[in-house]
Amino acid sequence: MTATATAPTTVDLGLYSDIQRFGATDISACFSCGTCTASCPLSQTDSTFPRRVIRYAQLGMKDALLSSKELWTCYGCGECAETCPTQADPSQLMAATRRYAIASYDRTRVARTMYTRPVVATAFAVLLAAFFALFMYAAHGPQSGESLAIFEFIPEALIHNTGIVVMLLVVLAGLSGIATMARRIGRREGVGWATVFGSRRALTRAGRAAWYAIGRESLGQARFREDCEADAANLEAVPWFRRRWLVHALTVWGFLGLLAATALDYGLALLGIKETGTPVPLWYPVRLLGTAAGVALLYGTTVLIVDRYRAANRSVKRSTTADWMLLGLLWVTGLTGFVLELALYLPEPPAWGYWVFLVHVAVALELVLLAPFMKLAHAVYRPVALFFVALATQGDQP
Amino acid sequence: MTDQLVPAQPTPTTAVMEPPLADAAGGRRIGVYVCHCGGNISDYVDVEKVISDIQDSGDVVVAKTAMFACSDATQQDMVADIQAQGLDGLVVASCSPKLHTYTFRAVAGRAGLNPYEYSQVNIREQCSWVHTDDREAATAKATALVNAGISRTRLTTPLEPMVVETLPHTLVIGGGVAGLRAAVGLADIGLRVTLVERELQLGGWVGGFGAMYPHGRDGHELIATLVAEVRRRPAITVLTGAEVVGKAGSFGNYLVSVRIGGDGAAALEIAVGSIVVATGFESYQPEAGELGYGIDGVVTLPEFKALVDGSAGAASGAPGAAGSAASGSPLTWHGRPVRSLAYVYCVGSRQPADVEGANQYCSRFCCAATVQTAVQVAGLDPSIRQFHLYRDMRTYGKFEPLYTEARKTGSVFLKFAAEEPPEIRREAGGGLTVTVRDLLTERTELAIPVDLVVLVTGMVPRANEELVNVLKLPAGSDGFFNEIHPKLRPVETVVDGVLIAGACQGPKTSAESVASGLAAVTQSAAILKKGYTELDPLVATVHAPACTACGDCLTACPYDAISMSEGPDGHVAVISPTGCKGCGGCVPICPENAIDLLGYTDAQVSSMIESLVEVPA
Repeated sequence: MTATATAPTTVDLGLYSDIQRFGATDISACFSCGTCTASCPLSQTDSTFPRRVIRYAQLGMKDALLSSKELWTCYGCGECAETCPTQADPSQLMAATRRYAIASYDRTRVARTMYTRPVVATAFAVLLAAFFALFMYAAHGPQSGESLAIFEFIPEALIHNTGIVVMLLVVLAGLSGIATMARRIGRREGVGWATVFGSRRALTRAGRAAWYAIGRESLGQARFREDCEADAANLEAVPWFRRRWLVHALTVWGFLGLLAATALDYGLALLGIKETGTPVPLWYPVRLLGTAAGVALLYGTTVLIVDRYRAANRSVKRSTTADWMLLGLLWVTGLTGFVLELALYLPEPPAWGYWVFLVHVAVALELVLLAPFMKLAHAVYRPVALFFVALATQGDQP
Repeated sequence: MTDQLVPAQPTPTTAVMEPPLADAAGGRRIGVYVCHCGGNISDYVDVEKVISDIQDSGDVVVAKTAMFACSDATQQDMVADIQAQGLDGLVVASCSPKLHTYTFRAVAGRAGLNPYEYSQVNIREQCSWVHTDDREAATAKATALVNAGISRTRLTTPLEPMVVETLPHTLVIGGGVAGLRAAVGLADIGLRVTLVERELQLGGWVGGFGAMYPHGRDGHELIATLVAEVRRRPAITVLTGAEVVGKAGSFGNYLVSVRIGGDGAAALEIAVGSIVVATGFESYQPEAGELGYGIDGVVTLPEFKALVDGSAGAASGAPGAAGSAASGSPLTWHGRPVRSLAYVYCVGSRQPADVEGANQYCSRFCCAATVQTAVQVAGLDPSIRQFHLYRDMRTYGKFEPLYTEARKTGSVFLKFAAEEPPEIRREAGGGLTVTVRDLLTERTELAIPVDLVVLVTGMVPRANEELVNVLKLPAGSDGFFNEIHPKLRPVETVVDGVLIAGACQGPKTSAESVASGLAAVTQSAAILKKGYTELDPLVATVHAPACTACGDCLTACPYDAISMSEGPDGHVAVISPTGCKGCGGCVPICPENAIDLLGYTDAQVSSMIESLVEVPA
């Protein structure tokens, strides 16, 4: 970010009110003192926030905002909201701006609608789930009474093929969003293909940055754990099993574990080792993985929902429809999965098992399909931004 | 430092001589006191040697040193000496006369000696402090200075202050908020008042304002209240469309000429005791091209305030501003809706010192006035985007909440560096673009598309040359009128009985203007309510027989105190003792040496010079 004789940044007069639509609290009392940045445990010398982001939003510096890696360095701990001398809420603005960024990186405008029109979004989510359920049900077979033969009820191939189509759509939308974001941040940061792949050294550096972004930060939740939660008040008030980073990590791992279990199960079927739907004992590795991941996901999302409902800590003081929708879909997916597993192991197959299965499949498909257009998108955008953060902080280190 | 009383210091040398016989022959009896100033003087000047060198000069009866001449103890010693020794002259060699002339005149007065028999000799600022490197020479110089003081004192005569009756009538010039309030105050304190206003209407700037902070009352409403108060007081005479064109007489008895109805009209003569000048300010007028001034859509703060006040009136259904209502937008400029605007602060204020004729002062009211206007604009339509480009935000004191309110109603503040002012241009498409480097956002250069640019113009002094000439008003380098002392004598000018109030003195808010107007009321009452005043007798006098009536002194006098008078032996110059300020300007001008300044007569000054040039034996 060197000062060059470039053309001045043209102010977007509508930016601030647009961000407001994404659930920002009123930040206008802000007098740019920078207390938020000073008190933020994550803000670094070379990439400071939230003050900088607030200025971008206030002034209407749209490009600067959408090319800010700093947006995603924030974990929304809410410390800044407590230290702010004007009772503006920098933390909420950061969250709203991330929503705005997700919507801006998405070219379909679906994300924008999902975020800015809660009623439409909710109706859409319900209708989409219903659509998936009806779509599956249209091809339904008999409900066997001897055992819970779910794939006789809904053909396995239909689920798999629908899943593949949904996955492809999601990957396309996700990649498009990531490309938009990476191009914007890269241009701002002066990072191009050559910086990442140009030389052996660049590759090593990029590899290390990728590990930081995906491994250490996204999977390991390192700074979330070490810095954000190092707040004394939080530590005293919250037992270890309710800590924000842990609950979030369990949700992440649970979600990824379930994805992995599903993929592995499909893989085993493709290799002809085990037909999908074949009853297996609980200790069967894929089954065991799925169960453990399911437990983690369900525990994580339940605690997150309860905390959010109670506004238990400063990072969940305010909730938007988007927050509830993600937690709701995750929780329903997890819960129906468990109930289904229970039904599978019951000696007498219950009739409701089939309906639970239908709901499970529909909601899971919806969750995956909507991922790039809702809060879940942070799971891909955040690592990309953190990759640039890591590149910048590594600087010219050998 | 000099007021400390230091006990148990070296005993002052005392040389009290027996009354010499020469006294009988009409000599003077002078007491001389040389001050150590606690070392300020005695560290560099051998004060004992000064005493021993001068004690044998003729007429010196008492010669003493003192650790601090101004201390109570030494003052009491002096009183005792004057009375015991029957002294008729007093010399204190200490610090600058600016510090203690009045102190020792009072000492003389307390001892029954005429205060004007006292001479102060400065051996600190003009000797010890500037000759710290040469004690011997400093001592010799101090001795010479003291000798000069003794010589002057030999020629002093008792003088008495002049007592002048004063008229209980004050002229107030300027019918703005400060002048109106002052007029009411003066009338209430029992003085007659003549209020002169150049315009045809009373009210000044405030009379043209809409809602004002903090109560939201309209400026013209406030003025209407004040004018009603003025009208209710028969002691106040209001002259509008009137200008002060002449002033004669002196403090307590001025005769002022007021012309009503423009050039050529007859002038009215009004006798007053004091004059309160409350002529207000002018709004800074940017030059063409200065920050885009001249481009359509670039306006000054007063122009914008009028627009907003008019729009606010239209919004509340007041007649006369239908244009904006028709377009459906609450704020329009030349028929175009204003959806976004930028304020550029400090226009015409706080200009860099290296610019010729720069206004270096802060105009003080403009930050508050602008944020208040911005809040008004947000009240018209909160969706209007407002950008404030400032150098420093100075919504001081009780105006601070306005700044917060402006932010809360959506105003965005950007800080620019004085050396990098914003640039304003009109785009081909019709809109205005303000380009500025924002110090609060990493010095990023921003281009802000706006519909209107408001130049926040400050206050400048009014062009009032005629009045300045007539009243001899002292103005500072910034053009505003100067008080004698900003803290101790804040409304008095060096012209006795001429007081200043309001923004003619410097940038002020309306509240501050009113406060200074009332301060002028108090000061006016202080000098007029007694009915008389005492004037310093140190004035110039004409030795009539020597005067040839050449008239040179008339033009030399800056106070118009000299006139030509028909005497028994033809024309002769006459100096009004009450008009004379004792500046001495006429003395060297007189080709006949016919003018003497009492207290500093030619004879006295010559004797001092002779003492100074005398080579010590």
